[in-house]
Amino acid sequence: MNEEYLWDKSGEPDPEIKQLEDVLGTLRYQPRPLQLPELTNEKRKKGYLPWLAIAAALLVALFAGVVWLKLQSGGLKQNQEAVAPKSVQSPKSKVTPSTTSTPEEVVPENKIVQNNAFALHQRKDFVAINRSRQARTPAVQTVPSKEALLAKEQLLSALRLASEKLNFAQRKVQGPAGNPIRNQHKIG
Amino acid sequence: MFELEATADMLRMSTQATAPAETAPTETRVEVALVTAALAGDRDCFGRLYAMYAPMVHGILLARVPRGEVEDLVQDIFLHVYKKLNTLRDYAAFGPWIAMIARNRAMDFHRRTKETVEVTEDLRSTDTSTAKAKEILDLICDLPEAYRETLVLRLVEGMTGPEIAERTGLTPASVRVNLHRGMKQLREKLGYTEAV
Repeated sequence: MNEEYLWDKSGEPDPEIKQLEDVLGTLRYQPRPLQLPELTNEKRKKGYLPWLAIAAALLVALFAGVVWLKLQSGGLKQNQEAVAPKSVQSPKSKVTPSTTSTPEEVVPENKIVQNNAFALHQRKDFVAINRSRQARTPAVQTVPSKEALLAKEQLLSALRLASEKLNFAQRKVQGPAGNPIRNQHKIG
Repeated sequence: MFELEATADMLRMSTQATAPAETAPTETRVEVALVTAALAGDRDCFGRLYAMYAPMVHGILLARVPRGEVEDLVQDIFLHVYKKLNTLRDYAAFGPWIAMIARNRAMDFHRRTKETVEVTEDLRSTDTSTAKAKEILDLICDLPEAYRETLVLRLVEGMTGPEIAERTGLTPASVRVNLHRGMKQLREKLGYTEAV
């Protein structure tokens, strides 16, 4: 048997192998045109849609988050403005308006609040307070404004919508069935 | 003892056989270009891939499934490959990938279809050469799977050893060993006497 002929058809043709080639050659592949479906390209384009949906959902969620944070910070400022004048009312502060105050003496509000708290603490006739009970109640009761509540509602609905979109996109990406070719990279 | 010597000979020969495979990178580059173009929507390039690999897929299937089913399965496999081409990570491995798909599809075929005996074609065929070809093909199909596929690709599809190695992703050494051992067993089945 001519090994070289069997390997790469080089050298002297082996009569037995040649005969087998001639006989089995009748079963050789006969070229046939391949009909590629038109749908295939559209399907391939559709493959991007779920990713676009995911990106859009994330953007919506991000936008909603930013809006909510902005509104929250706005509401907090309003609340602080509303609370601050009350807390400044102390015996000392009542006296200060009568004295002449220069622009240099104007102190920030929060500093005034701190000073007042310190002054209260220093007073001898100060009534004992149950600290644990005090700690349980928040120092500043933030009353959510109408706008904040509305924004919260909007954010929650936006997040719900984004979550639904994400779920839908995930289902699309995963598809109805798994990939049938599992060991496609095994060779040999 | 003889087997060991033969294997050693084969391995020695396989080192020489690596020389033709050195031309492979060019073909691989062509494949990569064709796969890239096909992924971009060029149907003609996919047509070229089909023309290049259809004989190999045909051979792999012919070694595993009834002859009457092979043609349709070849078409099915290429349609499947066209749809799933975007899942191929290494474009240079297109050949081994499609070979594996063909082997898996042949296994699926046997899983899904009940055991049947293909007699209709044999009874109707009047052409003696075709009948003889089918007879020899049946003998090849009785050989171990590794020998069967390599022999069909070599004797039926007319591919050379280096081509088989290149297209299927097998090493030239194993293709050479498979060809040698498969041919030896086929000769015994055909009743040919070993020429010394």
